[in-house]
Amino acid sequence: MINALTVEAKNSPEFLERLLRVCRHRGFTIQSINAEVNNTLQTTQINLTVFSERDITLLTKQIEKVVGVIEITLLQQPENIKVSA
Amino acid sequence: MNGAHFVVQALKEQNVTQVFGYPGGAIMPLYDALYDGGVDHLLCRHEQGAAMAAIGYARSTGKVGVCIATSGPGATNLITGLADALLDSIPVIAITGQVPTHLIGTDAFQEVDVLGLSLACTKHSFMVQTAEELGSVIEQAFEIATTGRPGPVLIDIPKDIQVGPSVTHALAKLIKTENTLNSAAIDQAKNMISLSQKPLIYVGGGVGMASAVNELRNLIAATEIPSVCTLKAIGCIKHDSPYFMGMVGMHGSKASNLAIQECDLLIAIGARFDDRVTGKLDEFAPNAKVIHLDVDAAEIDKLRQVTLSMTDDLKQVLPAITIKPNIEQWQQHVAAMKVEHECRYDHPGEPIFAPALLRQLAQTMPADTVICSDVGQHQMWVAQHMFVDRPENHISSSGLGTMGFGVPAAVGAQVARPNDTVIAVSGDGSFMMNVQELGTIKRRKLPVKILLIDNQRLGMVRQWQKLFFNGRYSETILTDNPDFVTLASAFDIPGETIVAKSQIDQALQRLLNSDGPYLLHVSISEEENVWPLVPPGAPNDRMMESIE
Ligand SMILES: Cc1ncc(C[n+]2csc(CCOP(=O)(O)OP(=O)(O)O)c2C)c(N)n1
Ligand SMILES: [Mg+2]
Repeated sequence: MINALTVEAKNSPEFLERLLRVCRHRGFTIQSINAEVNNTLQTTQINLTVFSERDITLLTKQIEKVVGVIEITLLQQPENIKVSA
Repeated sequence: MNGAHFVVQALKEQNVTQVFGYPGGAIMPLYDALYDGGVDHLLCRHEQGAAMAAIGYARSTGKVGVCIATSGPGATNLITGLADALLDSIPVIAITGQVPTHLIGTDAFQEVDVLGLSLACTKHSFMVQTAEELGSVIEQAFEIATTGRPGPVLIDIPKDIQVGPSVTHALAKLIKTENTLNSAAIDQAKNMISLSQKPLIYVGGGVGMASAVNELRNLIAATEIPSVCTLKAIGCIKHDSPYFMGMVGMHGSKASNLAIQECDLLIAIGARFDDRVTGKLDEFAPNAKVIHLDVDAAEIDKLRQVTLSMTDDLKQVLPAITIKPNIEQWQQHVAAMKVEHECRYDHPGEPIFAPALLRQLAQTMPADTVICSDVGQHQMWVAQHMFVDRPENHISSSGLGTMGFGVPAAVGAQVARPNDTVIAVSGDGSFMMNVQELGTIKRRKLPVKILLIDNQRLGMVRQWQKLFFNGRYSETILTDNPDFVTLASAFDIPGETIVAKSQIDQALQRLLNSDGPYLLHVSISEEENVWPLVPPGAPNDRMMESIE
């Protein structure tokens, strides 16, 4: 299954690396990714699509635990579901 | 005040009194600051020993353990300890020196990308970029290490920040929000419990980490629901509780594993359905609905789909779900299974039977003795045959299964609890993995007792070779071990070797009565194995109980 998600986080030099590690380790391969820093808010927004046989919540719950994550939105669902606020 | 002094000051503010570590170039300013006193530094003889001592310190007290290392090789040597702390959710802070900021990324002497290395083996990690953020980083590190599901946090501090001027920093007042329980979920849990005919409580390490041992015991006493525990949860339930059946899983008791397979409601408390617990996952507790209580939302539905879950503080949840079900038949059945499958300690001949020796040690050691186990067959015998009534008193590398853990963990526990007896139970393979920590015991005159169960084998691996690899003993025969008593004596640690049952009583007395450290080297047959055993890939009710 392919899922699209948006992760918004406090910007830090290694945030993207942390996110990529969690995706790979939990068994989700990245199909596409785009990351953009918002210098005013000091946040970074990462849009990614991932592929896995595993349930996407296994990934979103792990990403929620990464320090600095502000919000995860899962896009390719019947309607947009806010996973965390 | 420079950055390094600031770090020591910040540690004091976090109530850190003792730290474990090893100096080197990039961390020298911090060692210079430690030289002024205020925080007691224990020199371990390998950074891995320091990390594991910090774990032993944390696990025996519930406080944060702190370890310190230099950049490059010092930091890489910490990694195994951090991974151990991550898998067992132990609050540890690791402080590493880093090359000066302007040299980072130049492949400088002893430069390793420690932040990069830490990503897979810490809960979180920081590289301090400016003096301004040093204070808030340390504060956040302690907060992250101790809240929610605890875990190790690494702080990498470049040398220039240690020697540069510090910037004072007002401690942020952390606002604790009171959590209110979801009353619908509580009602549903109570309803499920009262409707169930065969409920079972499955206790994991999270109960001890949440300091919810009393709440758990109250729940069990009030409901009389039968219970089992994981390796990490040993000590949470009093060993003689009427319907407590001991450890579950690969080397769990037969009664526990059978009860799991039969129950119709499994109440998992601070447990995570680890593969060593579940055996074949699809067939684990096949008839049970599951209530999962764990502070880490990522554990819910990770391996087992559950009917109901709550991620609130166990101290709040456990009293709230207390309701006594009507389960007399099930209790009688469980009690009968417990009796039927009780461990037996009769064993022919003079050679020492390690399970019986460990049982005897548990019966004779002082109350509140801390047992730190190494990894292998002896570790499973400790778990099966010793009884401990506080999770802080059974310290075993459960999630990572790290050989070499026992002795340094005992160092940490002894430092933390100087008035309690601390015993490291080790194997001949494991002992050699951090044998240098005998130097720490000597240096600090720590009265750590070491019980070395020597089968001249990497016994646990040998057992698998015997059972599953046609007895092809590839690299598990250690008949060339050193003379352990002589080895210990080189560190001024007295000791003795025993080989026969008739020597046990007196030797245990000498071990327990020695004022200082002591090594009791116990020679056993390589043929003794750990039973029962759930073979890999099998469901938990298909246990092997002997070689055939
Ligand atoms: C660092 C590390 N390396 C390898 C292993 C694999 N392993 C698990 S148990 C074991 C044998 C342990 O031997 P010993 O300490 O003598 O204990 P015994 O099983 O003989 O009681 C080995 C090699 C491990 N758990 N940890
Ligand atoms: Mg051995």
